[in-house]
Amino acid sequence: MDVSSVRLEDRLARESPGGGQVDPSPMFGTWHNTDKKTGGIVRMALAERNGTFIVHAWAAGSPDLHDWGEVAATAHAANVHSGEGMAFSAVYDFGFVESILAAYTKSGILVLDTFNTFKDGSGRSNYFTREFFHR
Amino acid sequence: MPLQISRTRDAIEGPRPVRPVDLALLAGTWVNFDAASTGVHHLEIEDRDGQLILRTWGTGAPEPQSWGEVVAEPFTDGVALHEAVAFRADYDFGFARVMLACYLNKRLLVVDAYTVFQDGSGRSPYFQRDHFYVP
Repeated sequence: MDVSSVRLEDRLARESPGGGQVDPSPMFGTWHNTDKKTGGIVRMALAERNGTFIVHAWAAGSPDLHDWGEVAATAHAANVHSGEGMAFSAVYDFGFVESILAAYTKSGILVLDTFNTFKDGSGRSNYFTREFFHR
Repeated sequence: MPLQISRTRDAIEGPRPVRPVDLALLAGTWVNFDAASTGVHHLEIEDRDGQLILRTWGTGAPEPQSWGEVVAEPFTDGVALHEAVAFRADYDFGFARVMLACYLNKRLLVVDAYTVFQDGSGRSPYFQRDHFYVP
């Protein structure tokens, strides 16, 4: 099949692709940060809600955690043929800061990167985090 | 008025960091460690008047494929820091969108590509990781 591509991995090596649908369920569950003293995301719940793949995050706070609520996420597979979800991306926009979540799973661990952009003129640097989670 | 925070790490005490952030650690030509990669072939990162300019090439045959130039967003390791250690960039090719989520690990640049196809080709959204060095 002749399809557009911008790198070799984009190309279809056979005629039966995954149909463009990725099953996120292998990632479902509650994921806990391996660092109990994190100042970032403490835990995440990945699930399906009314047919939509959602992430629900809770972040470090005092005295209570910050409940970020649910947002829709996009599941990614390991290649163009696979239908099995092993990574995701999602966006939280809190108004004063936007956090882009980019995560993948490997060997039972979920690795989460966050890219955090302040929009409130507070002078804080936009910052990156990388944290590890287990179910 | 106290600053809004989404998690403990958003809080800042003391002076604000100098702007713009320092892009020196990221600037340069980055070559994929894996000569057999099917993903990103190499990247050029430039500090242009404080903006992070990214040029990317995907693997191809016989030649790498230029993805063109975009403005990427740099990130530090914390709200009070000045040195960029990560960046994020979006490419929209029409048939596909690619988010590059990238960070330094020592002097290694890790590039995670989150690709979503928009052309009805049936290809799955997919995640791909490559590692780069400055020769």
